[in-house]
Amino acid sequence: MATFQHHRITPWLLLSPQLAIVAMFFFWPAAQAMLQAFYVEDPFGLGRTFVAFENFARVLASAEYYRALGITVAFSAGVALGAMALALLLAVLADRVIKGATAYRTLLVWPYAVAPAVAGVLWGFMLDPELGLISAWLGALGIDWNHQLNGGQAMALVVMASIWKQMSYNFVFFLAGLQAIPRSLLEAAAIDGAGPWRRFWTITFPLLSPTSFFLLVMNSVYAFFETFGTIDATTAGGPGGATRTLVYKVFEDGFIGYDLGSSAAQSVLLMGLVGLLTLLQFRYLERKVQY
Amino acid sequence: MATLRLDALSKTYPNGFTALHGVDLEIADGELIVVVGPSGCGKSTLLRMLAGLESISDGELAIDGRRVNDLEPAERDIAMVFQNYALYPHMSVADNMGYALKNRGVPKAERRRKVEETARLIGLEDLLDRRPKQLSGGQRQRVAMGRAIVREPKVFLFDEPLSNLDAKLRVQMRIEIRRLQKRLGVTSVYVTHDQVEAMTLADRLVVMNGGRIEQVGTPMHLYERPATRFVAGFIGSPAMNFLDARRSGDVLTLPCGTQLASPWPGEAGETRDTPVCLGIRPEHLAIVPEGQNGGGTLAVRVELVEPLGADTLVHARLDGQDDLVVARIDGIQPVAEGDSLILRPDTDRLHIFDPDSGQRLDDLEPACHTPTSPA
Repeated sequence: MATFQHHRITPWLLLSPQLAIVAMFFFWPAAQAMLQAFYVEDPFGLGRTFVAFENFARVLASAEYYRALGITVAFSAGVALGAMALALLLAVLADRVIKGATAYRTLLVWPYAVAPAVAGVLWGFMLDPELGLISAWLGALGIDWNHQLNGGQAMALVVMASIWKQMSYNFVFFLAGLQAIPRSLLEAAAIDGAGPWRRFWTITFPLLSPTSFFLLVMNSVYAFFETFGTIDATTAGGPGGATRTLVYKVFEDGFIGYDLGSSAAQSVLLMGLVGLLTLLQFRYLERKVQY
Repeated sequence: MATLRLDALSKTYPNGFTALHGVDLEIADGELIVVVGPSGCGKSTLLRMLAGLESISDGELAIDGRRVNDLEPAERDIAMVFQNYALYPHMSVADNMGYALKNRGVPKAERRRKVEETARLIGLEDLLDRRPKQLSGGQRQRVAMGRAIVREPKVFLFDEPLSNLDAKLRVQMRIEIRRLQKRLGVTSVYVTHDQVEAMTLADRLVVMNGGRIEQVGTPMHLYERPATRFVAGFIGSPAMNFLDARRSGDVLTLPCGTQLASPWPGEAGETRDTPVCLGIRPEHLAIVPEGQNGGGTLAVRVELVEPLGADTLVHARLDGQDDLVVARIDGIQPVAEGDSLILRPDTDRLHIFDPDSGQRLDDLEPACHTPTSPA
């Protein structure tokens, strides 16, 4: 027991650099935001007034907020499901590649190393209404592409760019998941008379469900928070707020509109929302993926 | 219920490695064939080719006289029990067993009836709702068997199905597999590297080495008249002792000077004094009581004694030689390390092989490839 007592402080010392970083860049700002949410502050930060829940009430009473919520839900669902479906398809194909497998896999993982803003710029270029290569092709097909004017197209653009960015991450996990499925299971299924399609849906897909569940949580969080850079670099929330997601609205209201109190209240609400969503996923989905 | 015909079945991988060099075999309806051999002898490849999991490079495979080379595994109407059981972890025992029936479009009620019937047959009726994770190794093995049985296939394929079980369970399951196979009368091919399993299960035993069949026959035939030195060394435990000897006429001379009656006098007009490889099974060496040495014996010094209860294994070195021999002596013997002993080989049960080709020299009948009727 004496030895144990003696070492009580050492673990904390060893952990302190990491704890300091987390405290400085997460807990402190988070606490600041929470505090801010209860004040109204002037744009120059010279003075502030305690207003209790007024910021929250104002946010929850505004139609703009609910519109952004709707856009976020559509955007997140599109990004999470799209990125997972495409990644699964690519992983299944890459799993079958025998020659040059490493090269293919490396290439498929690359987009993950691209910064979100760069991904946005890239897609923005390709689909630029005047200069874009893809928009020119679409024009040839009779589709008039202009995401700077058409809200639906703007949404499609940010969803595509975000999917492209996140796909690599999902791909790595799906590929690992596929490779963890014993070959003999699929062989047994083949002998049991299941064709490739049936084998995939009755054996492979259910066995991937823990991976899929994990990715669903990660992709939701990604779509809610980390797509800010992509949106800012391509549509900046436009046109007419068609791609203004909740996290983008936090930025707009806080740093463009200088309504810091409302922005802080929104970020607290957003944090709560994602927490709730993750909780629900764990609660209702995780039970189904255990075997 | 089916016959199988393997005609010059070969397997060459894209990298040029040939795993099987033309395997010929006829398997009778209801027969249990055990394929045995060391690692890498091609036995698993052979089984996977029968299952359709590996393509056939050359030769022909026929089930019930119908060529199946190009059929998918599902179309061959075979069932396979895998070494790791390959149970679907996300399905209950009942679903695992019913999976093949479901794929074939068998209605739910009939599926249920068949699964329950099979479960009763192998004692799984209380476990039908469990997941594979909740079962012991032996129970999983049973489910794997049940999954094969419920389909009523033409052929059962077993890929070392008992190698993941502990020794006691292995003996139990071995007996059970034998009983079930006889009861159901389904033609079976069973791959193993365990020669006790091979000897006890097989109607006929196929010994493979280096992608070729060394010998086919009943276990006792292979034990008593191994066609090659390889089979002689592989079948029987502990392995047969091999000694260099010279034969002239019907006399075998060992390097230590001992002379034994040869079981085979050689062909007429053969040059005298040819080198041969002499094989003596450990159980065909007996200790000669002191003072009764009448020639035809081996003088040895004991190096290790392994008492097994029912018998004792004596590892000994021939006097003045490097050769080690093992003798299996009945009962518990008062033999200790360092003792000098006289061993007498049973000259009626000697085996002699060509030292170069390894072929048996006193066996004029060709290796038997035709099926014998199963017991």
